Amino acid sequence: MTDQQTLEPPAPPEAPGPGSPRRSRGDGSHARNFSAGFVVKLILVALVDALGVYGILSAWAVESWGILTFLVLALVAVNWIYFSKRAVPGKYLIPGLLFLLVYQLFVMAYTGYVAFTNYGDGHNSTKSDAIEAISIQNETRVEGSPTLPLTVVQRDDELGFAIVQDGDAEVGTAEEPFTVVEDATVDGERVTAVPGWEVLGFAEIAQQQAEITELRVPFSEDPSEGSVRTQDGSTGYVYQSTLVYDEATDTFTDSATGEVYTPSDSGNFVSEDGDVLTPGWRVGVGFDNFTRVFTDSRLAGPFAQITVWTFAFAFLSVLTTFVVGLFLAIVFNDPRIRGRKIYRSLLILPYAFPGFLSALVWKGMLNPRFGFINEVLLGGADIGWLTNPWLAKLSILGVNLWLGFPYMFIVCTGALQAIPADTIEAAKIDGAGAWRILRSMTLPLLMISVAPLLIASFAFNFNNFTLIYMLTGGGPNFVGTPVVVGHTDILISMVYAVAFDSGNKQYGLASALSILIFIVVGVISYFSFRQTRKLEEI
Amino acid sequence: MRRSIPVVAATLGLALTLTACSGSGSGDTGDDTSAAPSESAATGTLTMWVDDTRIDEMKPVVATFTEDTGIEVDLVEKATGDIGKDFVAQVPTGEGPDIIVSAHDGLGEWVNNGVVAPLELGDKAGDFSDSAIAGVTYDGKVYGTPISIENIALVRNNALLTDTPAATFDELVAQAKTAGTPFSVLVQQGEASDPYHLYPLQTSFGAPVFEQSADGSYTDTLTLGGPAGEAFATYLAKLGTDKVLDLAVDGEKAKQAFLDGQAPYMITGPWNTSAFEEEDMDITVLPVPSAGGQPAQPFVGVQGVFISAKSENPVLANELVVNYLTTEAAQDALYAEGGRMPANAASAAKVDNPILKGFGEAGATGAPMPAIPAMSSVWAFWGATEAQIISGQAEPVSAWNTMVTNIQDAVDKV
Amino acid sequence: MAGTVVERDAAPRGRRWWIEIGWRHVVGIVTIVACVLPLVYVLSASLNPGGTLTGSNQLFRTIDLANYRELFTGDYPSWFANSIIICTVTSISTVLMGGAAAYAFSRFRFRGRQGGLTALLIVQMFPQMLAFVAIFLVLLSIGEVFPALGLNSRMGLIAVYLGGALGVNTFLMYGFFNTVPRELDEAAKIDGASHAQIFWTIILRLVAPILAVVGLLSFIGTFGEFLVAKVVLQRSEEFTLAVGLYYWAADERTARWGLFAAGAVLAAIPVVLLFLMLQKYIVSGLTAGSVKG
Repeated sequence: MTDQQTLEPPAPPEAPGPGSPRRSRGDGSHARNFSAGFVVKLILVALVDALGVYGILSAWAVESWGILTFLVLALVAVNWIYFSKRAVPGKYLIPGLLFLLVYQLFVMAYTGYVAFTNYGDGHNSTKSDAIEAISIQNETRVEGSPTLPLTVVQRDDELGFAIVQDGDAEVGTAEEPFTVVEDATVDGERVTAVPGWEVLGFAEIAQQQAEITELRVPFSEDPSEGSVRTQDGSTGYVYQSTLVYDEATDTFTDSATGEVYTPSDSGNFVSEDGDVLTPGWRVGVGFDNFTRVFTDSRLAGPFAQITVWTFAFAFLSVLTTFVVGLFLAIVFNDPRIRGRKIYRSLLILPYAFPGFLSALVWKGMLNPRFGFINEVLLGGADIGWLTNPWLAKLSILGVNLWLGFPYMFIVCTGALQAIPADTIEAAKIDGAGAWRILRSMTLPLLMISVAPLLIASFAFNFNNFTLIYMLTGGGPNFVGTPVVVGHTDILISMVYAVAFDSGNKQYGLASALSILIFIVVGVISYFSFRQTRKLEEI
Repeated sequence: MRRSIPVVAATLGLALTLTACSGSGSGDTGDDTSAAPSESAATGTLTMWVDDTRIDEMKPVVATFTEDTGIEVDLVEKATGDIGKDFVAQVPTGEGPDIIVSAHDGLGEWVNNGVVAPLELGDKAGDFSDSAIAGVTYDGKVYGTPISIENIALVRNNALLTDTPAATFDELVAQAKTAGTPFSVLVQQGEASDPYHLYPLQTSFGAPVFEQSADGSYTDTLTLGGPAGEAFATYLAKLGTDKVLDLAVDGEKAKQAFLDGQAPYMITGPWNTSAFEEEDMDITVLPVPSAGGQPAQPFVGVQGVFISAKSENPVLANELVVNYLTTEAAQDALYAEGGRMPANAASAAKVDNPILKGFGEAGATGAPMPAIPAMSSVWAFWGATEAQIISGQAEPVSAWNTMVTNIQDAVDKV
Repeated sequence: MAGTVVERDAAPRGRRWWIEIGWRHVVGIVTIVACVLPLVYVLSASLNPGGTLTGSNQLFRTIDLANYRELFTGDYPSWFANSIIICTVTSISTVLMGGAAAYAFSRFRFRGRQGGLTALLIVQMFPQMLAFVAIFLVLLSIGEVFPALGLNSRMGLIAVYLGGALGVNTFLMYGFFNTVPRELDEAAKIDGASHAQIFWTIILRLVAPILAVVGLLSFIGTFGEFLVAKVVLQRSEEFTLAVGLYYWAADERTARWGLFAAGAVLAAIPVVLLFLMLQKYIVSGLTAGSVKG
């Protein structure tokens, strides 16, 4: 959809037109020449338009109305913003926003939608898929029936099967049961030619695969003898449906017992006795997934403990990585250190290796009996780094520090450059100590640009499922809880344990729970964010 | 202040624009050429998902198929753990693969989600061992063609011990200790234990996980509880105190220790023996001795080939899966390339590799890994409880019984 | 803190050297040891064709380059190229889009500015539980209209990554932009410069350190991302390094740790090199003259 943006540099070209900011500050003398910048803008917008129009046409062709609507709106917006004199901020925001809209907000919207459905194992697709699957799963081969070498034949648009029975060639269609035909050519057990019918070769069969595999030819006049079908176009078997779907009443009937299955509100065919047919299909379930959080007794047990740990983990992770990252950034911000380029480059190594590889290595190193830490560093100590509840928490924080400090280091190194050296110098001359300079000058200035990152990092760690999963799997586990969760599990990994690890995968439930978590994180972030705004002087 | 808008900088800005432009522009052209349309239907191309450990053996086999039939097969590499998950997610969109190659234990989930099509092996079913067919059967219907089977067994390092007179697991441990190595019988564990590797011991107490009906398929009635289960739990605790089992010995450590000659025995599967052979170790593969008096049954895993319920090429897919991959020739070729025990009985009979034969014998009494959805409720509880028993954190009998109750609750919710 | 030109000339010696500089070397060395130690396992495993990752503390028992040779017989080189292309395009575009957005937030006052800023940050916190299904669906439908942006396309993957271009990084830049004095803009405006000229010629130049930081972060982030990439890219020759390596380690039983480790070691090189290259921009600082205006 927004491919147009990938083709253009995301920032608007240097349009010399009067920008007319709303609060006209210094507005006035704008160059009016149609400079190179304007030409570039013209070309780029023209390109975007060309692509957009192409997209609209092909969306029309494939009947993707959603995409079409989006493209029309996006094109109008782009053209208006770039040629209008009013929407100046828009010129800088629109490229990024369009991508955000398509790729990020769609994921959110989709998750939101799923949270209100029963999507998950057993309710994976549409009702028609479910009907098809039930029908085909309950069509069983008649016991003791023969394997029939089969020939697919065609007359006009009608497809049929030809088989050999008791030495005679027989042909049948969807309407007509198998009947003997005269003058057919039989080669061994297979019919090779039938007068009036065209015998289909494999290539022709391949062209009508769906029709041929859906074809059922009644074996005889007696429907209870079943019907013949083929899956490969060359062998047929006699099948009987034990469950028959009736479109008119929208029900399945068990042909043996006569039991009738009707569709239920929860997306399954259910009999009066409560027997349920699988698969079911996806239906809306309202707020059920959300209310289950409060009604599912399995969630109640260790919930409080896990919540506390989640907050502690996220907060301490941010704190430790930031403190270490900042410290190292300051330490190496002194140009008098020889080889600091090398130091700095080596410091980001933990960040340059795949995270899951590092987690696995750490897991091995923390192994209580054979790990490097105990066996080599501590001379054969037996410390349960991952088995003692408190040490496991400590280990998680330690590994997360190792994984995360290079990020903070890079960010702080960059952000430190915004602090004017001469201000610091002046403070030094005034006799301020290093600690004091850090606390009252560097840190506050740094926070302006870094604080939102700390909040984001908090949110990231709040949902840092991968680390927990790779390193401890949540363990050491609580003894005997009705959901397998442990001392190092955080909320999101508990969601995983409940929605995926214990039985059926329940995407609906998982989505609802993760939305609830998102709300918690979002609210916390929102308020912390408002706090940080006080740091800004603007 | 006045020099803040140098002309040089203006040109620089423009240059930046152009670089950015050409940067993404070239990326675009590069992609136009490489983004081959993948899902063009009805041209006789089958899409098949294979994991990275099997793709190399599958390539020449499907190449032969393509030569014979003209049907193209597009092999797509997927991570082992993603194949089943993505199959379930993508088939309903109509864009999933035609065929997947996967272990059979996800079958119940696929059937429950209606993403896999039943197929009719017909007389060809007789070409396979019962356990192979049982693996690809769910609820009485066959859904796949088995291509290889694997299971764990007892592996002996002949450099340390040359014969195994032990009839019971206790005797085995006692004999192993005579080798004087740091470990006796290695059974890989981990923080969450490893019920899969402990299963032969568990079944030897007569406590299989689910009830098996006459045709080998599982019902969702739990059978791991009761006195048999409690006896096993007690035995686990004993192995834990004796340090035969140690949670610190994870898969990595166990493999390395055996490679280093630190243990005469290891309970493991063929995936590791190939590494042992590469290191020129002299090993023998034997059945696991019973610990509780009854036969020690390992889980048997069947690798099968399955067809999507929404394949647009059902005839072509059946041609490959039912008519070609079932054949002795195809399974011979797969064995020649990949060295895994073929599921086709005739092909398997020709295997003369003593190690694979050893695994085959050990697996003959094995039980197929349950493919019923209820099984996914079991693993987490099972491992966590076994770990707590082995480490002495929990009293074995009561912990085991709590586990059975918890699993039963979870199964009931499925 | 930030050193100045004056100090560089008078390098301290003796005890003062230790107090001012020497200890920094000690900190550096200790930290680097801690950084590198776990990676020694990776290096050791990469030199051992049949070994395990952490099964033994006896490192470097075999030194054999077989794994590295094997890397170059398969698709690894093309993964490498794909990663470099995808990450370069993504990071440059992210810097430009994020920079533009940060400029708008920093320099213009418009309705929804505060709300928009907060929303950008919070949107990125949404749990990606179902991202793999959603991304698949969205690329599926886009692919019908623009095949080049659909599944199995590196362009499509880049587009997905750019969906996250406005986010945390915008904030980092926004904060930094705010430290550039507004008087500069005002002066330029009086000189007749348009907002675009100010952005491209003044601001971007002054915020070079943060552009380098964001470029680097975006590059590394993209370089290691495999969850989305493996949904989008399905052919081995199109994989990125992260996806290819993930597949090698996906099945713990059969994981080829040696090969995986060798691949990871080589994959770390471009990241470190990039950082080495960008360092001078990151730490160049603002030249005193231009800041104080």
